[in-house]
Amino acid sequence: MAEITPFAYRPGDSVLHFLDTRLKFFITCLLCLSLLPAGFISCWLYCLILIFFFKKSKLPLFSMLGQIKSFLILLFFVFLSRALTTKGDLIFSAYGLEATEQGLTEGALVALKFFLVMLTGLIFSSTTRPSSVKTAVQWFLKPVPFVPENRVAVMISLALCFIPVILRQAKEVSDAQKARCANLRKNPVRKTMGLVLPLLKKTFLSADHLILAMESRCYSNDRTDSEFKPSGKEKFFLLGSIMVSLCFFIFS
Amino acid sequence: MQKTIINIEDLSFVFDDGYTGLDHVSLSIDKGEFIILAGKNGSGKTTFLKHLNGLLIPTSGMIRVNGKQVSKHLIETRKTVGMVFQDPDTQMVGDTVFDEVAFGPENLKLHRALINETVTRILKTLNLFHLRDRNPSTLSGGEKRKVAIAGILAMDPEVIVFDEPFSNLDYPGILQVLSTIMDLHRSGQTVIIATHDIEPVIFEATRMIIMKKGSIMEDGNPMALVGRLEPCGVREPCFSKFNMKPESWQK
Repeated sequence: MAEITPFAYRPGDSVLHFLDTRLKFFITCLLCLSLLPAGFISCWLYCLILIFFFKKSKLPLFSMLGQIKSFLILLFFVFLSRALTTKGDLIFSAYGLEATEQGLTEGALVALKFFLVMLTGLIFSSTTRPSSVKTAVQWFLKPVPFVPENRVAVMISLALCFIPVILRQAKEVSDAQKARCANLRKNPVRKTMGLVLPLLKKTFLSADHLILAMESRCYSNDRTDSEFKPSGKEKFFLLGSIMVSLCFFIFS
Repeated sequence: MQKTIINIEDLSFVFDDGYTGLDHVSLSIDKGEFIILAGKNGSGKTTFLKHLNGLLIPTSGMIRVNGKQVSKHLIETRKTVGMVFQDPDTQMVGDTVFDEVAFGPENLKLHRALINETVTRILKTLNLFHLRDRNPSTLSGGEKRKVAIAGILAMDPEVIVFDEPFSNLDYPGILQVLSTIMDLHRSGQTVIIATHDIEPVIFEATRMIIMKKGSIMEDGNPMALVGRLEPCGVREPCFSKFNMKPESWQK
C-alpha cells in the first residue's frame, strides 16, 4: 500500500471539493499573484483564512507539512539569504556575514509569502481531481490561437498522475541504496548518480508500461471530458477572493 | 455449437534485436473458454497476449478477432479483448477508483451519463463501490487488481486476458482475484490467463496451452497435461506431485 503524496487529491465533501474547478483555478492564480505586494498583516490574515479552509476541507495540515519538510528547509535558506544580503540597520555580524533589521523583516516576509503560495496550491490540488484540472486547463486554453489545448491538457493530466509514481519509485530506489549503505559514501556526485540513474531507468520503464496500458484501453486525445458542475457558491467565493486581493493591495 | 472468437494463423513475431518472441503459433479460441497459458519466464506468454490486444503487430501470420484482422481494426479489437497487465501500479491513470474505471469508456467517447451508470454498476458488481473515492495507489494488492479488472469490464469486452494476475499477491489477495475471475467466466466471458503458477486456476480452467521458446508445446485438457509442465519450466501442481485429488481454491 503506497503513501499518499501531499499534493494528491483527497476525496471529501467540503464546499471547496464541490466548487467549479475553473473558478478554483482562477481564484488560486489571483490570490497567489496578489500576494506579491502584501504586507505582514494581510499575510497573517490570509494564513488564518487558509487554516480555516484546511479545517473545513478536513485536510490534515500538519501531516501534509511534515511531508514537505524539505520545502520548509528551502524556505529557511530563502529567509537566510535575504536576511544576510539586504542592506540596512545592522543587528549582528559574524564571520563576515551581516544580518540587518530590514533583511530579517524582508526575509521573513518573502519566506511567508512562498509558504502561503504553497498552502494555496496544496488546498487547490488536494480538493481538485486531476481530471477536472485537465478539463479546466483545456477550457482556459480554448480561445488561445495556435495552442493545441487537448494535447496540453493531456500532458498536464499525465504529469499529474505520473508524479506520485516517480516519487514512490524514488523512495524505493533510495531505500534500496540505503540498505546497501550507499549513505556512507562521501562523494555527493556518485551518491546522486547512484540514485538518479536507476530512478531514470525505472521511470522510463514505467512510462512505457503506462503507455501500453493506456493504448490497450483505446486512449486518444478526443475523449469524454469531465463535466463542470457549479455548486452555486461560486459567486460568493469570487467576491470573497477579490476582496482578499484588494486587502493585499491596501495593506501592502 | 461454440463460436470461434479468436483465430490465429501461423503467427510469428521477431523483436528489433532479432530475438524470436513467437514462432509459428496457430490456434483458435472459442467463446466462453477458460484458458491457462503456461510457460516459464521468457517463453512468449506476454508477447502472445499483447498480439491479442493489438499492442504488438505480427512480423508474419494473422490474428482475427470476431473475424476481423487485428492490425486493421485496432479500436474494435481493444474493445473486444481487454487486457489486465501484470503490474497494476503502472496501469492506473485515474486519481480515484471511479475515475480509473471510467478511463476506458471516456476513451470510447461514451456519453457522461452512460459512463457514470456503467462505472457505478461495475463497481457494485465487483464489491468496490465503497472504495470509489479512494486513490488507487493506496489500495491493497488484491483491491488494485480488482480495480484493474473493473477498468477493463467497463469497456464491455468479450474476452479478458490476464498477464500473471496472481503475482505479488498474498493468499487472500489471490482468492479475491480468483473469485472475480471465476464470476466473470460464469457470466459467459472468455478468459485467458498467462501464468507460471497454475495451481490456483487449474481446477477451473477448460483448456491449457503450454509455451516454450515462443512455440506452443502442448494444447489440451489441463488435467491431462499436468505431467508435461515441468519439462517446459512450469512447476507441477502439488496435487499431481503427491497423487492427491485436485481441489478448487475457491471456498
